[in-house]
Amino acid sequence: MRINPAYYFLAPAFMGLSVFKIFPIGVAIVGSFYGTTLIGESVFRGLDNYLSIFGDLDLLRSFGITLLFNLIANPLQIVLSLMVALLVFRPGPLIGLFRSVLFLPVTLSLVLTALIWNLLLDPYLGPVNAVLDAVGIGRQGFFKDEAQALGSMVWLTTWRGVGYWMLFMLAGLYAIPESLYEAAKIDGASWWQRFRHVTLPLMRRPIAFVLVASTAINMLFFAPVYVITAGGPNGATDFVMFRIYQAAFNYIDVGRSLAMSTVMLVVVLAVAIVELWLMRSED
Amino acid sequence: MRSRTSAALLPVARYTLLIVLAMIILAPIVWVAISSVRPPEEIFLYSPKLSWRTFIPETFTWENYRLLWESDFPRAVTNTLFVAFATVALGILICSAAGFAFAVFDFPFKNTLFVVVIITFIMPFEAIVVPLYVMVRDLNWNDTYFALVMPEVASGFIIFLFRQFFTKVSKELFEAARVDGASWWRIYWDVAMPLSWPTVVAAALMMFIHQWDAFFWPLVAATSPDLTMVQVAIARYLQFEQADFGRLFAAMTVASFLAILPFMALQRYYIRTIVDSGIK
Repeated sequence: MRINPAYYFLAPAFMGLSVFKIFPIGVAIVGSFYGTTLIGESVFRGLDNYLSIFGDLDLLRSFGITLLFNLIANPLQIVLSLMVALLVFRPGPLIGLFRSVLFLPVTLSLVLTALIWNLLLDPYLGPVNAVLDAVGIGRQGFFKDEAQALGSMVWLTTWRGVGYWMLFMLAGLYAIPESLYEAAKIDGASWWQRFRHVTLPLMRRPIAFVLVASTAINMLFFAPVYVITAGGPNGATDFVMFRIYQAAFNYIDVGRSLAMSTVMLVVVLAVAIVELWLMRSED
Repeated sequence: MRSRTSAALLPVARYTLLIVLAMIILAPIVWVAISSVRPPEEIFLYSPKLSWRTFIPETFTWENYRLLWESDFPRAVTNTLFVAFATVALGILICSAAGFAFAVFDFPFKNTLFVVVIITFIMPFEAIVVPLYVMVRDLNWNDTYFALVMPEVASGFIIFLFRQFFTKVSKELFEAARVDGASWWRIYWDVAMPLSWPTVVAAALMMFIHQWDAFFWPLVAATSPDLTMVQVAIARYLQFEQADFGRLFAAMTVASFLAILPFMALQRYYIRTIVDSGIK
């Protein structure tokens, strides 16, 4: 029997995906039923890890914070990236340059973005507070203020994310036939009507893509929490992913960490499915 | 009359908004670069109270860069460049081959396998960091370049981009080569790959920046000082050497610009590849 040549081309990539992307999911599921004793022995715990997760009020609060962060940051990034894409969509002098600049934060790592904004927004040393002080608004705590820390995280991820999502919005805008706009113009449609009845309905797919992709990233928001707040102040930025990290590497309770990872995988998948269902075409 | 005024105002509003947005993006990066050429004690000296000195250095110095050069940072840069180039070389090869297979051949389970590719590209890497770490540790792969490179080589997104590109190449081109007696390997290597160079450039850029910016995985998988990657090194500067702001700013500038420069040179391929990929 001849083997289909396709499988030779696929084999290396699928070996990589299976070992490093799919197999770890199995490791997470299996490991979530185990725990480690004080002397390092692995013991079967059944559903204990899951029961302790769902009975842990602090952890449920973490889920709440992570969810709230997503409910603010993702729609905000979608609206802003669509607006910015509309600003650089039509050609014009220097528009290419502006597009590059807006896209620039994509190259900056989340760690660098976090370090830079942590220093810029420092309550005592940060130049942003110097400006706010000088214009009479007064100094803010930002990441050091319990009420502002989560909002500052939203600002950070939005600052870095909008340029990237803009690219997918631009891809969608380019795919809309120019003739539709011209027809709408001839019918006397205003700028807003053209946006509302031509652009928006045809942008359903890129918006759905950005929604799903940004949710997948922001449900597991980690690096800035590790670098800036370590979950503080007073638990205000206690994201789930930071707890997963702590459980595995600070408290050496790998079983519990894997149970949380498994729950988050299911949650991300479920949220993605719900989002795709909500964004489905009406026709 | 009214519509003519608003038509004249529209470009003004457009460019005003763009200038404001560009400043919000550029100001932090410029601030870091400027601060990196100030003496360490001057960096935050003038920033609590607003004056021209908050943004313009009084004294210009390369001292921070000299100290950075003598630290363990060059080692981190070399490590990261090695890991990034290895990932790019292997990743382009195996992802383009898989993309070629999805675009050109019909085979059983094609759709199922493609769904697997899509799932791995939607699934956030953070979600599997801990189980991947457990696996790598149990196989004694932790603290090796292998552990830093291999998990990033097969990428669902890059496979997807190559598949989208090869799907658009005319099938007749491949069939003509087939009639001439070329093997599929020849067709892939001599016909398909040379055509796909813009996708190769974009994918290489994405993989390079991805590894250059990697943090969470190197943080847990490679704790040995010999294997420190750039982002982890910088995060440590802040945590352990709070006072050494000069070196921190120099390191942040180097880390930013080594990602920004290749990106600036090659970004049009990046943009074109995503725009053409049909994620819309």
